[in-house]
Amino acid sequence: MNRVVITGIGVVTPIGNTRDTFWSALVEARSGIGPITIIPTERLNSRIAAQVLDFNPADHFDARRVSLLDRFAQFAVVAARAALRDAQLELSEEMALEAATIIGNSTGGMNTLDDSFFKLYGQNAARAHPLSIPRLMSNAACSAISMDLGLKGPTYTIASACSSGTHAIGQAFQMVRTGQAPIALTGGTEACLTVGTFKGWEALRVLSSDTCRPFSKTRSGLVLGEGAAMFVLETRERAVARGAPIYAEILGFGMSADAGDITAIDPSGAARAMQAALRDAKVNRNEIDYVNAHGTGTALNDKGETIALRQAFGDAADHLAVSSSKGVLGHSLGAAGAVELAATALALHNQTIPPTANFQEADPDCDLDYVPNTARNAPIQKAMSSSFAFGGLNAVLVLGRA
Amino acid sequence: MAIIDDVRSIIAKSLNIPVDQLTPEKRLDELGAESLDVIEIVFALEEKYDIAIPLQANDATRVSASGKSESQDKSGNSELPFATVGDVAEMVEKLVAAKASK
Repeated sequence: MNRVVITGIGVVTPIGNTRDTFWSALVEARSGIGPITIIPTERLNSRIAAQVLDFNPADHFDARRVSLLDRFAQFAVVAARAALRDAQLELSEEMALEAATIIGNSTGGMNTLDDSFFKLYGQNAARAHPLSIPRLMSNAACSAISMDLGLKGPTYTIASACSSGTHAIGQAFQMVRTGQAPIALTGGTEACLTVGTFKGWEALRVLSSDTCRPFSKTRSGLVLGEGAAMFVLETRERAVARGAPIYAEILGFGMSADAGDITAIDPSGAARAMQAALRDAKVNRNEIDYVNAHGTGTALNDKGETIALRQAFGDAADHLAVSSSKGVLGHSLGAAGAVELAATALALHNQTIPPTANFQEADPDCDLDYVPNTARNAPIQKAMSSSFAFGGLNAVLVLGRA
Repeated sequence: MAIIDDVRSIIAKSLNIPVDQLTPEKRLDELGAESLDVIEIVFALEEKYDIAIPLQANDATRVSASGKSESQDKSGNSELPFATVGDVAEMVEKLVAAKASK
């Protein structure tokens, strides 16, 4: 079994499109949540989101190419290019033939779907755009990355709602660990901030109109976001041999399904995924220093996740630093696990714990150390990143210091 | 049709329970309503009467509709501003009256 490391990180996020701008905003708890500007808001009750505002497709794609790519695929390709550059990896043809591209995504090309249906049903258009199908298919992002970078090995999309990014990275990790692929390009992408998406979430009655305040007693719901994060995974042996930068090692991956309610978090299901990841990593729960939590900012997710952390960690929970990045990044659904893994890897790399932003007041139901508002310099040897999805699907990764 | 009868019939359909069992004092949680049942019921009433029923995550009145202690809702939907069939009808009556007086 190979040891697997992260040697490249690329991001497109509401707080910046480079690794450095992303990290400094996270550490400074500078939130990317603000008034919605990318779509009309007159029909929306909640008018805030974490949008990627600093992104001009023409800066990255020529006109012919861009018409093939929905926003979620554009984010994915730009982040994937950045990850590969960051890894300083020159791909040989032999490696490219076996390189895996495993991408998490929840909703596919929602902007394309929304625009197309608006024209057809709302404006009685006679025909759809001829590229609407290849733009909106959920595998459009992994296919676009594979074509753009010339990656020709196992390539597919994993869809598990808010756990998609974490499931994808876990799958890519397993492929490199077992030698099925020499390297993997993996991560998550999402761009579904359309009027239709907001109305759907509004009807679930979970959107905050204030901001996202994970684990705070005053938390008022979740805030939708968008973005992408991509990683280059390779064997530790190869990375060391070629003198590559190593951000962190992936030690283990755990999954579970609640087989219960479609939206309700089951603390025991979430805890089982954490325990499975620790077992896979051969790491004792006392060894984890930091958990990047799912922490959506809804009343009951954060309470249920706290119960799950106590179940999985026992007494060790009182020594854990736990933070949620969603106060800064919003909830980017299928990308969330990936952007949060970037936060976790960079926490290990920089030996700094990014805080839980927008925290106001402790809640007796959330009684762990959530690193409120201010980053903490602390020795971190091992860390965990968790995702829990609608449908009861849980995915957890354990990372170690490089 | 009185509002209470509409409320009973919508809840009966949503929970697949005979309407004559839905007396005003029956609690939704005792009837087996889970979080998604409740938001579907609320949606049906909003559509029927063209009203907006105030129901959000982190609602101040914390009444569990699911009755489950272990199962916490990711979306915050098991905390509601009403508990019984009669509460729901009363809320709808107030909102319909407020709309009429506008």
